[in-house]
Amino acid sequence: MAAANEARTLFRALLREGKRFPNYNLRDFIQRRAKESFRESAGVTDPSAVQSLLKRGREELELVKRQSTVYGLYGRKFKNVLELDLKFKPNTPAASSA
Amino acid sequence: MRGFAAAPQPVEDADHGGSSGGSSMIEKKGITLRGVPLYLDMQATTPMDPRVIDAMLPFMTEQFGNPHSRTHLYGWESEEAVEDARAKIARLIGADPKEIIFTSGATESNNTAIKGVAMYYKDKKRHVITTQTEHKCVLDSCRWLQQRGWDVTYLPVRPDGMLDMSVLEAAIRPDTALVSVMAVNNEIGVVQPISEIGALCRSKGVFFHTDGAQAVGKLPLDVNASKIDLLSLSGHKIYGPKGVGALYVRRRPRVRMEPLMSGGGQERGLRSGTVPTPLVVGLGAACEVAARDMQSDLAHVRRLEERLRTGITSQLQGVMLNGPSDLALRYPGNLNLSFAYVEGESLIMGLKEIAVSSGSACTSASLEPSYVLRALGVEEELAHTSIRYGMGRFTTDAEVDRAIDMTVSHVNKLREMSPLWEMVQEGVDIKSIQWAQH
Repeated sequence: MAAANEARTLFRALLREGKRFPNYNLRDFIQRRAKESFRESAGVTDPSAVQSLLKRGREELELVKRQSTVYGLYGRKFKNVLELDLKFKPNTPAASSA
Repeated sequence: MRGFAAAPQPVEDADHGGSSGGSSMIEKKGITLRGVPLYLDMQATTPMDPRVIDAMLPFMTEQFGNPHSRTHLYGWESEEAVEDARAKIARLIGADPKEIIFTSGATESNNTAIKGVAMYYKDKKRHVITTQTEHKCVLDSCRWLQQRGWDVTYLPVRPDGMLDMSVLEAAIRPDTALVSVMAVNNEIGVVQPISEIGALCRSKGVFFHTDGAQAVGKLPLDVNASKIDLLSLSGHKIYGPKGVGALYVRRRPRVRMEPLMSGGGQERGLRSGTVPTPLVVGLGAACEVAARDMQSDLAHVRRLEERLRTGITSQLQGVMLNGPSDLALRYPGNLNLSFAYVEGESLIMGLKEIAVSSGSACTSASLEPSYVLRALGVEEELAHTSIRYGMGRFTTDAEVDRAIDMTVSHVNKLREMSPLWEMVQEGVDIKSIQWAQH
């Protein structure tokens, strides 16, 4: 199934791109929400509904890419206290470490 | 235990290099912080959702036109975006787009609704009803009317913050123009019986205004099902931008009002001034996202509230919940607790790594206890030690766990220093003590 393959690819890409957010809360939100949405959509079989879900998935992936760049440019210099304590090592994009 | 074995350390001697790669500290208002505090103050304001920022950016860069310009592309594309946003807001609350008016926020919406309706009907109707636990902007608008000769009834609420329907019914008079009751309280999260109030007001021929700033986008709300005539909402409480809000004004049966702002007659003449396209687009996007994510957000916030409440109350005695304990009557993203025998200011200062507040942001600068808690009949000492934890879409489990650990350890530390707490532990009834007069 081409659609199922594309959905899996999109899901993995969303999780990967979501980790590029320098903001801790947004990284966490995108992981949680992406898993929720893909689980909810797993049972959808109607071809037109599948197509519109895939379309939204593609759009949201592009949005995550754009916004992680924006957050990288304008993020804080200081880390959240939780990240300091957890010795969190995010996949920091080049933009935020510059 | 919760993944945070390390006890919270005082900031001064903390030496976390962390991944920030330096010992740089944040210094503000004489307080030194080693990192950015956790944000648990979602009733004060919310961060913008990246989906909202993404929708706004085109209108902050190249598409800068005035939406009221009729003669060129710049105006047309802005107008189209504004109307699209209006439709999204209308869809969220079950209204017609023509019934939505853009304002600068819920404060302006509340002012416009209350003063505008009262002034339009002033020849026949000179009475307005509200409750004692409303937001300051509603109370102050009512005060403004009182100073100009209107009669205002400030209804008391039950100890859990709910408005008693029989009290409201008894207060309605033939000359009552408007009833204004907020949907969700900003300090204790109590959800008022909006549909019952709406039905009662409609049957008595009185307009019903509700301040929905803390409710819209978080709980299901439908202006027709609940017979709401005027509804205020705010952008920055629902992950949208600050400086924008909306007022729903019913068309059938028609609600007439006097505008507060005179000028070019924008927004059906009810709110003159150029509509701020980027802000309005952001509000529209926030409403669209809220409609789509509402069930997910609500389930998330319910889970976090349960975790926070049981986490604190299982480890501490003498914790009182302000507001209804029944979660059907309270928005779970708002948890307001009072800690007996703890000085509130000291607790807030001790919790500087968590951004929480003792009540509403408008009144948190004063040392007075919250008027909302006093209206519930909360004792002065307990009203002084209240903390409002506000959770939302972007709050994480780890943040809640940290808030539990910090609260428990600071409350215990402050109680260890308190002679009153020591006496209570020894079984002395504090209220029975005759304190010496000086």
